[in-house]
Amino acid sequence: MRIFRTPLLTLAISVAALAQRVAVVADNLYTAGGDHQDGKPGLVLIEGGKITGVLEGSKAPDGYERFEAAYATPGLIDGKTTAGISGEYNITADQDQDEATDPNTADVRAFDSFNPAERLIEYINSYGVTTIQVAPGLSNPIAGQAAIFKTRGPQSAGMTAEQLSLKPVSALVFDLGESPKQAYGRRNKAPGTRMMTAEIIRKAFNDAQAYQKKWNDWNKSDKKDPSKQPARDSKLEIVSRVLQGEVPAMFNAYREDDISTALRIAKEFRLKPIISSATEAYLMRDIIKSSGAQVLAGPTLERLAQLETMNSTIENPALLADAGIPFALMTGYESYVPKNRVLLLEAGVAAANGLGFERALQASTIDAARILGVSDRVGSLEKGKDADLVLYDGDPFEYTTHVTAVLVEGKFTYRRE
Amino acid sequence: MKTFPGFFMPVLALAAFAFVQRAGSQSDVIAVRGAKIYLVSGAPIERGVLIVRGGKIDAVGPESAVSIPQGARLIDASGNVIIPGIVDSHSHIGIGPRPAVPANEDVNEGTGPIQPGLRAMDAIYPADPGIRMALAGGITTANIMPGSGNVIGGQTAYVKLRGKTIEAMLIPDTIGGLKMANGENPKHYGRENLAPMTRMEVAALARKEFIKAQEYKRKWDEYNSKVAAGNKEAQAPERDLELVPLVEVLEGKRIVHHHTHRADDIMTVLRLADEFHFRVVIHHGTESYKIASELAKRNIPVTLTITDSPGGKLEATQVDLQAAAILDKAGVKVAVNTDDYINSSRFLLREAALTIRGGLGEETALRALTINPAAMLDLQNRVGSLEPGKDADFVVLSGSPFSVYTKVLETWIEGEKVFDRSRPDDLHYATGGFQVTDRYPRLTPTVSGGVQ
Repeated sequence: MRIFRTPLLTLAISVAALAQRVAVVADNLYTAGGDHQDGKPGLVLIEGGKITGVLEGSKAPDGYERFEAAYATPGLIDGKTTAGISGEYNITADQDQDEATDPNTADVRAFDSFNPAERLIEYINSYGVTTIQVAPGLSNPIAGQAAIFKTRGPQSAGMTAEQLSLKPVSALVFDLGESPKQAYGRRNKAPGTRMMTAEIIRKAFNDAQAYQKKWNDWNKSDKKDPSKQPARDSKLEIVSRVLQGEVPAMFNAYREDDISTALRIAKEFRLKPIISSATEAYLMRDIIKSSGAQVLAGPTLERLAQLETMNSTIENPALLADAGIPFALMTGYESYVPKNRVLLLEAGVAAANGLGFERALQASTIDAARILGVSDRVGSLEKGKDADLVLYDGDPFEYTTHVTAVLVEGKFTYRRE
Repeated sequence: MKTFPGFFMPVLALAAFAFVQRAGSQSDVIAVRGAKIYLVSGAPIERGVLIVRGGKIDAVGPESAVSIPQGARLIDASGNVIIPGIVDSHSHIGIGPRPAVPANEDVNEGTGPIQPGLRAMDAIYPADPGIRMALAGGITTANIMPGSGNVIGGQTAYVKLRGKTIEAMLIPDTIGGLKMANGENPKHYGRENLAPMTRMEVAALARKEFIKAQEYKRKWDEYNSKVAAGNKEAQAPERDLELVPLVEVLEGKRIVHHHTHRADDIMTVLRLADEFHFRVVIHHGTESYKIASELAKRNIPVTLTITDSPGGKLEATQVDLQAAAILDKAGVKVAVNTDDYINSSRFLLREAALTIRGGLGEETALRALTINPAAMLDLQNRVGSLEPGKDADFVVLSGSPFSVYTKVLETWIEGEKVFDRSRPDDLHYATGGFQVTDRYPRLTPTVSGGVQ
């Protein structure tokens, strides 16, 4: 039972499975959507990488290869991580998540840093994570563009970012709080304070509004004089897309007042923001609820090293759920050992600390898919969706349970020996 | 001890004072009954009774076999589970602060790679929140250590997690261990063109220091034998604060706690231990599973730090959840530690549970949190199992020790309750949010519940 790194065997299995129609039969099937009653026995039919049916009971139709499990769930979705752009070695050579040379790097794309061969991707896939939103950060008030990928275990290494991509540009990331002022203030550069961090972000939106107006005017004009065509600006272009609602604004904030700053800026520029990490969200639930913001709740197994994460509670997800705030779980960024948090393990702690089993599962599958805007493809086991499944030999959230297999688009990406 | 009387006196005097101070509250008799009790020293008892007298375990056994003394304070723990107080063999609580601001950060004296004279006890902050968080995780005894930035990091402290002063925390009659490190971390000096820059020099510095200690010990041995022979002219060698603890290591009175990850680095530790005959515990031991037989044949134990994922540094990329199971199978004594703040002390039970995921037996996993680490600190006669005569350190759990759904309800040290989840003040050291208890929202009990 190697926990990770068994590429040859896994590849061989996936090739075998490719040609077949597969039925995953589970004593406790959780679909996180559709008509199936979660927790009852059921089976998922798979063909051509898609789910072709979800049935009650355990009797597979003829012509399907059966795979059995005590539990089966949709593939897990990590709302925000740096896996693939922040490598396990943690040396300059493999750290590509934080372009800390300019407080506004709106034009950088996680897509262009993403390394499908990064072994952390294979590792988290072995814990059932099949979809990840990969986001740059944490030093820049405007950090750059996030992207959403599938993880395919050892097969990821042989694929391109394009092949793994679900959404090449999924959000524009804004970093608030300690990190930006520490990264720049120490070098006597802006931002040295939270005031300046907010100002840098507001200025970018303000400039983008002017930029947009110029382009609107040009587009409305007869366009006869090319010298009057506005110059393209790759930073203002993406910020404009955020203003137009095409790309979500994702504010990473921990402390209450930083979350408030995010909501203040979002209100000023009429954005419907996603708040990521959101450590102290549980202290300001009414405000978040009335703002309409969605939350990606950060890992609670992380080190409580910084001042802004000192009030982290393992009940944050439960308290958000209680208030009816739309949220999902994320693992974020780790700067040292361990290099990555594991969504399954985070979800287990949330489940056991007030959130409950089913809500914890939803927060790491369908709710994440909705917030990330990919619920047409992933997040639940329903006919027509991608056949991304996780099989377990017991309660998925128990420390001592094993993930026995992971399928992405019908192919095994992990199997426990 | 006869060799260096001056050095030991303050520690002993203060420890004795601390004991007297506590003795008053320990005089009553407590009977905890109804819980499933994991003794660790024997088979679990389904419905047991634990009798505590004067801070010690007086008796423990099945309800049917243990009579409850007249006047004992009764505590009903029916439906709960009791395990011995958890022993964390590798922690930095109180010295690696929460929050980790430079003003309070005292883990690594990064001004020179050889620091045997430093004592963790001189930097431990008993009011640090990390200590109460550890109690919320059921930890009662800890080995608090300097960091791994130096080849010799300093003297560690064996403490109970109670008391307002380090003197009250220190376990009487203990002198702690010696922290050492090799591999990546001590090489940080190389970045400034200082030694050590390579693993070769890391090892060479350690050897040089132990050779010095051998010389120093020889001088004292000569002097002591002259005194013993009645030579009144004998001149005592000068006391060397840095070499005294190393002599204690050479004499087997002080155990080396060695940070080391890669298999070749672990072999370097074994090479040093073979040469200088010191007692050593391998800490972290990320790749120890690769050389399990080398450890087994020398009877050298390993205390593992279990991490959620590989990496963060090169020497931690080969982590494997099966390590504990492989070591155990090879006959190596295994413990699981927090390395707090690498892992939160609130979750040490979880880290051991993950070794079960990796193939370790449940019984061994519990030993890896209790009697095994106790033995690695020479404390196995005092803590680590629930036996008459041992300290009454125990943890009341809501269920099976290794379930994610289980909560630490109470933590007891020497017959005193030091954590109680039903007290809001304590609760938020378990959940987090202890700085904002006054406005922490009330959690509505979940409707869907856990699948258990």
